[in-house]
Amino acid sequence: MSMIFAAAQDTRDAAIASQVHRSPADPEGESLLDDPQEWASFGRPSAPAGATADLWESHVVVEGMHCAACALTIEDALRSVPGVERAEVSAATQRARVVWQPGQVLPSQWLAAVRKAGYRALPAMDAMARDQRVREHRKALWRWLVAGFCMMQVMMYAWPAYVAEPGDLSAEMEQLLRWASWVITLPVVFFACGPFFGSALRDIRQRRVSMDLPVALGMAITFVVSTAGTFEPDGVFGQEVYYDSLTMFVFFLLTGRWLELRLRDRTAGALEAVMNRLPASVERRMPDGAFERVAVRRLGPGDVVRVLPGEAFPADGRLVEGRTLVDEALLTGESTPVVRNVGEVATAGSYNLQSAVLMQVQGVGADTRFGQIVALMESASLQKPRLAQLADKVARPFLLLVLLAAGLAAVWWWPTDPGRALMVAVSVLIVTCPCALSLATPVAMLSAAGTLARHGVLVRNLQGLEALASVDTVVFDKTGTLTRDGMAVRSVRNHTDLDPDEALSLAASLARHSLHPVSRALAAAANDPQRAQPQQWQVEELQEHSGLGLTALVRDAEGRLPARRLLLGSARHAGAPGEQGGGVGQWVFLSWQPEGGAPQELARFELTEDLRPEAPRVVAALRRAGVDVQLLSGDRSPAAARLAAQAGIEHWRGDCSPQDKLDVLHGLQSQGHRVVMVGDGLNDGPVLAGAHVSFAFGRSVPLAQSRSDFVVLGDDLSLVAQSIALARKTLRVVRQNLWWAAGYNALSVPLAIAGYMPAWLAGLGMALSSLLVVLNAARLSFGLQALAETGLQGTADLPLTQAAPRAV
Amino acid sequence: MDILYLLIPLSVVLVLLVLLGLWWAVYRGQFENVEQEGERILRDG
Repeated sequence: MSMIFAAAQDTRDAAIASQVHRSPADPEGESLLDDPQEWASFGRPSAPAGATADLWESHVVVEGMHCAACALTIEDALRSVPGVERAEVSAATQRARVVWQPGQVLPSQWLAAVRKAGYRALPAMDAMARDQRVREHRKALWRWLVAGFCMMQVMMYAWPAYVAEPGDLSAEMEQLLRWASWVITLPVVFFACGPFFGSALRDIRQRRVSMDLPVALGMAITFVVSTAGTFEPDGVFGQEVYYDSLTMFVFFLLTGRWLELRLRDRTAGALEAVMNRLPASVERRMPDGAFERVAVRRLGPGDVVRVLPGEAFPADGRLVEGRTLVDEALLTGESTPVVRNVGEVATAGSYNLQSAVLMQVQGVGADTRFGQIVALMESASLQKPRLAQLADKVARPFLLLVLLAAGLAAVWWWPTDPGRALMVAVSVLIVTCPCALSLATPVAMLSAAGTLARHGVLVRNLQGLEALASVDTVVFDKTGTLTRDGMAVRSVRNHTDLDPDEALSLAASLARHSLHPVSRALAAAANDPQRAQPQQWQVEELQEHSGLGLTALVRDAEGRLPARRLLLGSARHAGAPGEQGGGVGQWVFLSWQPEGGAPQELARFELTEDLRPEAPRVVAALRRAGVDVQLLSGDRSPAAARLAAQAGIEHWRGDCSPQDKLDVLHGLQSQGHRVVMVGDGLNDGPVLAGAHVSFAFGRSVPLAQSRSDFVVLGDDLSLVAQSIALARKTLRVVRQNLWWAAGYNALSVPLAIAGYMPAWLAGLGMALSSLLVVLNAARLSFGLQALAETGLQGTADLPLTQAAPRAV
Repeated sequence: MDILYLLIPLSVVLVLLVLLGLWWAVYRGQFENVEQEGERILRDG
């Protein structure tokens, strides 16, 4: 579960960082790492024995490596930097470990060496978490090796007793072999079995029963019986010893555990990799009035920072100088820029569009609205899905039953052969796999959640996965979900005999210098490769008037024709007669103002919100999967109708107030439909909460108000259809797991009680059983089904993208 | 077969020594990154 919280935090940090510092190749970003306070975030002091000076060990992620030889090149480059003591680069994990001396060299210098070699290195912020996992891995590997090697040796000592005819093996020799086996088994019992005993002791202390308890009990009994048999060969247990069984089933169990560990880390590692980037930075005013670039994490209330156009505000604050347009889409869903004057508040995460401003910081990090929003999301408790709760309820009495059955079996066999009786009891204890029962649901859900997280869908509520699998209706909100943020040029209408493409390129030559969404749309349209190549114009004296438009002097590229003053903007700004009626979009006018004369319209552009290109495909895929698609929009009906037609949605409704949407939702639900609501979380709060399952598109969502089960961080609508497909698959896997767990136990426990199951076979069975459950769940972590395949039964899964670097 | 009275205890000692060797290998990172070390030999110079 923690990896999902971590993912939430990382995406928050990544969102701010990617917006604040927009030039990744900027060495200034790297120089921030020379600050000793930053070192601890991606390294730690290194103190090898015999070192005379302070050393520091840092971990970085290297980008651009495509082969093992690259790793060696980078190693050489790093080692050639004076002050770097050791450098190890791994091509498999794409990471480097650098041991360096702070007195002689600084991180930016050896990072520069990597850059000169042609690669890019970023501080590995997740290094500490990875480190922890490496240590866990090593311990697990070591335990497994101990168990494995000792198992092989004990087997060799046990072999003579198996094959000996009566009289072949002398009593002393047999005794010697038993002693040798006992000594070799000691490391296994006292070290390799550590996790099982530790867990069992915890359970006893807390008066709880978990799946490690029967296993630990079985191990303990086996060892005690065999030891007694070794010390007292003539005693009641002296007939046979079971060291080979013991070491074997310990080995099998540890194998299962180790593979589970590897699988778990594969998902966790991919998520943690999101954290690796240069620290976000901003210009802060120093007491003498100059500005220095500092890391965002160093800001405190009262600092005055300069936020340049194109940067995001790193903190909440009040403007003290300058005025600008800000884009608060990330927080409010409104992509229309808002004017901010001196004295007004700017929020962290909003985007400075127009001019550089000075801001006095009021709240940073967790105190910002953005921070609080994310904190709320992180603190949303993940309820255990219903199926998992059911499994837990069954597991406990089941385990008690198992203990009882073992006891009864022992009692039954005791008169015949006390040694055998105990071993039968041990077999019963070991062979049952309640772990399959309690693992079945969580491991599948977590695998699915991990896969979704890697593709940019955060699961706030695992119960949502279960609910998502059974939906039969999808309701889309129009703005921000079916349509892209920003606008697109829909048509160009020229007033004079100016060629439309030329008009567009004229307009774009002005628009290129502005960050207003309308300008960006015009510039993007002019760059469209399908249009004729834009002519180059020289633009001088560009002025942007907030809320109105742009003016500039435009000259032909060769400078031959005299400069013309162009006006681009709203009707009022361009002096054009009123908006043409009809149409569904917003009109932008381009006109020419001759000296001393009235502006003359050259052309006008119609801009509309843009349907996401994947929307029709997604709707088709949902239909194929048997899910009905509907559109509810607060926008005017003509606009909604046009979009519905484009997307291929039959049922749509425009002019919906939030109450209307809620009514439609209740109507559907009362008809027995299970509805998933896809919105941007803005005015859909109650509706999102009321639906069975809800998706929020994260780019324009106020996360605090969003009570959705899934948050889509990216822009891709196909994730909705793919998530539904994955949820269905998850539930199938969970059912398969539960059936397997039930069937396996029903078969193996009677066999064990009847004495047909030797202890080693019991161990093998248990390990294989839980391994099967985990591997079945691992099928869910291969990736999302391609959109074209969604809805088709029995299609093989295609890994769509590997969003994160593969970590070994 | 009296020699076995020597050899079997000796083998136990050897096993313990091997376990020690495995411990050294695991905690010195010998089991990480196995493929790259093999390719190191192909490097020039």
